[in-house]
Amino acid sequence: MTDDLIARLSADLKPVPPMAMQRRLVLAAIVGLVIAILGAWFILHMLLGRPMGETFGGAMFWVKAGYTLAFGLVGLAALPVLARPDGRVLWPLLAAAALLLVALSLGTMNWMRTDWAMLELMGNTAMVCPWLITLTGAPVLAVLLAALRAMAPRSPAMAGFAAGLIAGGLGAAVYSFYCGETSMMFMAVWYSLGIFIVAALGAVLGRLLLRW
Amino acid sequence: MQTDPTEMRLRDLMLASLDGDAAAYRALLAELGRHLRPYFTRRLTPAFASHAEDLVQETLLAVHTRRMTYDRSRPFTAWLHAVAHHKFVDHVRRQSIRLTVPLEDDAPIFAHDDSADALAKRDLDVVLHAVPARTGDLIRRTKIDGASVAEAAAVHGISETAAKVSIHRGLKSLAARFAGGPK
Repeated sequence: MTDDLIARLSADLKPVPPMAMQRRLVLAAIVGLVIAILGAWFILHMLLGRPMGETFGGAMFWVKAGYTLAFGLVGLAALPVLARPDGRVLWPLLAAAALLLVALSLGTMNWMRTDWAMLELMGNTAMVCPWLITLTGAPVLAVLLAALRAMAPRSPAMAGFAAGLIAGGLGAAVYSFYCGETSMMFMAVWYSLGIFIVAALGAVLGRLLLRW
Repeated sequence: MQTDPTEMRLRDLMLASLDGDAAAYRALLAELGRHLRPYFTRRLTPAFASHAEDLVQETLLAVHTRRMTYDRSRPFTAWLHAVAHHKFVDHVRRQSIRLTVPLEDDAPIFAHDDSADALAKRDLDVVLHAVPARTGDLIRRTKIDGASVAEAAAVHGISETAAKVSIHRGLKSLAARFAGGPK
């Protein structure tokens, strides 16, 4: 029985180049990002009529892009480790938490300066922002989870969470092109919430889909 | 870095396999099978010992389909152990829904007492000597060894009815003698 299996498996052997797994994950993130960009343009611009790049080039635009992409990079650093059966890594989680803390404290400082104006916190789109980020992040998450199914995560939930962090970060970065909000506190609360909704979604889906 | 001979040999085989060397791969899988069988047998409870071979195959399959996740710069045995451990935990989790051990298979306080068995056997021999030899043998065959009356009768070359009568009388006389009178 086992000998048959060994014979069959060795007949099926195909070479695996070095870094094959990392390349596949990065490719999945890029494919997901392209889908997210096209989807966001269709849904946000065509259907919801949001102008693209309204705040492009402003200081807050770059802060938002940097903040969201930082989450994506943190996830991207963690995922190749977490996709392995012997992979264990903690610092990306701490880095994400630190990032959130810094944004919240800077936002609170700005908010204090404006004498706790409600507009500073809520902007005009607080109620839709996290959900639209979830929407733009979803294709990235789907492609990443599909790629992860061929891998062997030690903890499916953690790998799903890292995938969700990438998807949330990239999705929020795409969304920021269509977002007219320029307040620090708005970004620290609602962007972060959107990113963590996608990350939590990734953890739950990972638990279900990434078992092996 | 690594000096353990098993690790070095397996890692060399794995690296050759990743580059597409089928002979090295076959040797690797065969050796992994030999390593994994005792690994799982040791960890499984006796009730599930028969699952060891399944787990070996599942692990080999996972090694094959997920070999992309092996990092060439890290120890191979650590990766293999992680895969095997994952498969073992998965197995325990799946079985835990009905992880029941039959009572007679466990709990040494209920273990079968062989000395009592031997005593009963000797008593039985003594008792059966109290009836004629043929009757005693018929009783032993039908009541103890579980043969049918027809079979026991055939051994002694008598009719089935005669055997039944003989057994009945024998039991009756034994009861009279050992049970304090007929009942």
